[in-house]
Amino acid sequence: MANAKLEIVNMTKLYNNGDGVKNINISVEEGELITLLGPSGCGKTTILRAIGGFNDIQSGDILIDGRSIINMAPEKRPTAMVFQSYNLWPHMSVYDNMEFGLKLRKVPKAERKQRITEMLELVKMPGVEKKYPGQMSGGQQQRIAIARSLLLRPEVLLLDEPFSALDAKIRQQMREELRKIQTDLNITVVFVTHDQEEAMALSDRVIVMNKGTIEQCGAPAEIYDRPVSRYVADFIGEMNFLQINGKTLAVRPEHVRVRKGTGGELDGFVRTVMMLGHYVEMTMDTDYGIVKTFISEEEAREYHKGDPVAMDFSKSFEY
Amino acid sequence: MVKNKSKWKSAMLIVGFLAPALIVALGIVIYPIINTIIKSFQDPSTGAFTLENYSYLFTNKLARAHIWYTIWVTVLTVVLAIFFSYLLALYLRFSNSRIASVIRSLYLLPRFVPVLVAVYALKMVLSDSGLINRLSMLLPESWALHNFKPGLLYNAKGIILANLWFNIPFATMIISAALSGISSSIVESAQDVGAGKIRIFFKMILPLSISDVMIAATFVFMSNVSSFTTPYLIGANHPMMLGVYLRKQFSSRKYELAAAVSCLIFLFSSISAIVYIYTNLKEKAWERD
Ligand SMILES: Nc1ncnc2c1ncn2[C@@H]1O[C@H](COP(=O)(O)OP(=O)(O)O)[C@@H](O)[C@H]1O
Ligand SMILES: [Mg+2]
Repeated sequence: MANAKLEIVNMTKLYNNGDGVKNINISVEEGELITLLGPSGCGKTTILRAIGGFNDIQSGDILIDGRSIINMAPEKRPTAMVFQSYNLWPHMSVYDNMEFGLKLRKVPKAERKQRITEMLELVKMPGVEKKYPGQMSGGQQQRIAIARSLLLRPEVLLLDEPFSALDAKIRQQMREELRKIQTDLNITVVFVTHDQEEAMALSDRVIVMNKGTIEQCGAPAEIYDRPVSRYVADFIGEMNFLQINGKTLAVRPEHVRVRKGTGGELDGFVRTVMMLGHYVEMTMDTDYGIVKTFISEEEAREYHKGDPVAMDFSKSFEY
Repeated sequence: MVKNKSKWKSAMLIVGFLAPALIVALGIVIYPIINTIIKSFQDPSTGAFTLENYSYLFTNKLARAHIWYTIWVTVLTVVLAIFFSYLLALYLRFSNSRIASVIRSLYLLPRFVPVLVAVYALKMVLSDSGLINRLSMLLPESWALHNFKPGLLYNAKGIILANLWFNIPFATMIISAALSGISSSIVESAQDVGAGKIRIFFKMILPLSISDVMIAATFVFMSNVSSFTTPYLIGANHPMMLGVYLRKQFSSRKYELAAAVSCLIFLFSSISAIVYIYTNLKEKAWERD
């Protein structure tokens, strides 16, 4: 792709102990938010640090606007990185934190002040200029850290699990705000997370990683609807796995239709019926394993432990 | 009434528990200190109050030379020890090389060598007929370095060198602890916004470690201003460090003068103790709630 903002070509980065990432190919469009998703230790941070300049790579190339950046020091790269934690400089006030990079770029004083004030408003934290990082909550600190990076108008913004230390409700809120700011300012973002829900909610495209390699890359819906491997199917959303004649059949709970009795694609018996708020989760014992599905509260009244159930699958995958 | 009585009882109990410690402290620390202070204001023959001992220290040419000598040897020791320790601690904190990890596990070893042993070892290597001299004898006679005499003993250089041997490991330990408290992402995010190494040092690392550096400096100052063994073994006869001067007064039975010298040393130590307490107590702006 000629017009990619960020391009990673055949990149390999291995640490001395043999861990790392291999043959990574990623292409990110301008204004796109792409997520690296995978369990802890699969190499997400390694890729992000390579883009930011904090990891030397063994082979391959990283290009921004078509120009290789791998020989640039981190301080020269047009990227900005927000780390997992301890981003802000604890001995500087919020204002000094934000001003530091602008000063290095020789932005005049009046303009610095104006841009900082505007940015604080954008992240909904006006008036905190004089506070020190230690006087703010974790969520506020990460917000300032993102603001500090945005202020420098990077070509590519790198976010390494920026919300993972926050509690669920704030995390939700920060996601929405980030998405809004990102589309408003049309910035290119590489976002790292181990939380599939976060990845699905936030991204234009998701890259699912497994042990240092890329397993699948695509829009959230595409990955959910057409997982290319058992690993992706397992990692994204909920999935029933059934071992039938040496093959693995994978069915999402919402694709399992149930009726009382026998004669379905698969027959079984009710195992548990569990009320989960506005819907009910029902599991069934079959010859090939346990199957889970979601039904309404009214339907649930008809099912009791041990009842025979016939199942049909509106959609399934085979691995 | 009843309440008052039980309060009084528990107070007595506390005093009772503390009494042994208090008595020991009074006996072996506070009493001698007070005694020394009193003695330093006494006339040797009559025992009457006098400022004579102190005025001698501050007006006598020799005594003044000793005081100045002590101050500058100590200050130079502090400056050099902190400088080298800071460099070493920075290297240990930010280098991943094998050499760094070897040094990391060995740098405290000099602290474990007893002072006497270390000073004698130093003497054997550095003295004008020591190891260095003998090695230089192996060089051809026509060379300038043949029969090289280091000239490091019985002067300030030797004392400072020995002081560094003991104090660099100690100061490095304290500064290293401070630097290991600075998370890598602090340094990396500074790099990320465009700061070079020098700016990162002056804007991030120095402000975040300066209070521990000050604490290391006060400790080095305190332990060296009153040092005795090292200057006694490898120092000059003139000028002397105050510790040696104190002993000299003592052995010539000038107890009142000796008391005044020790009060002076005590005063120097207290100044650095005050710096220490101030640095420790001073709330950093960024740590206030
Ligand atoms: N500095 C390092 N030295 C050696 N191994 C490392 C280093 N950093 C990470 N690793 C290893 O590389 C793998 C990928 O790590 P990382 O990129 O941090 O994973 P993630 O961010 O996905 O949790 C892990 O197995 C980790 O133990
Ligand atoms: Mg990580």
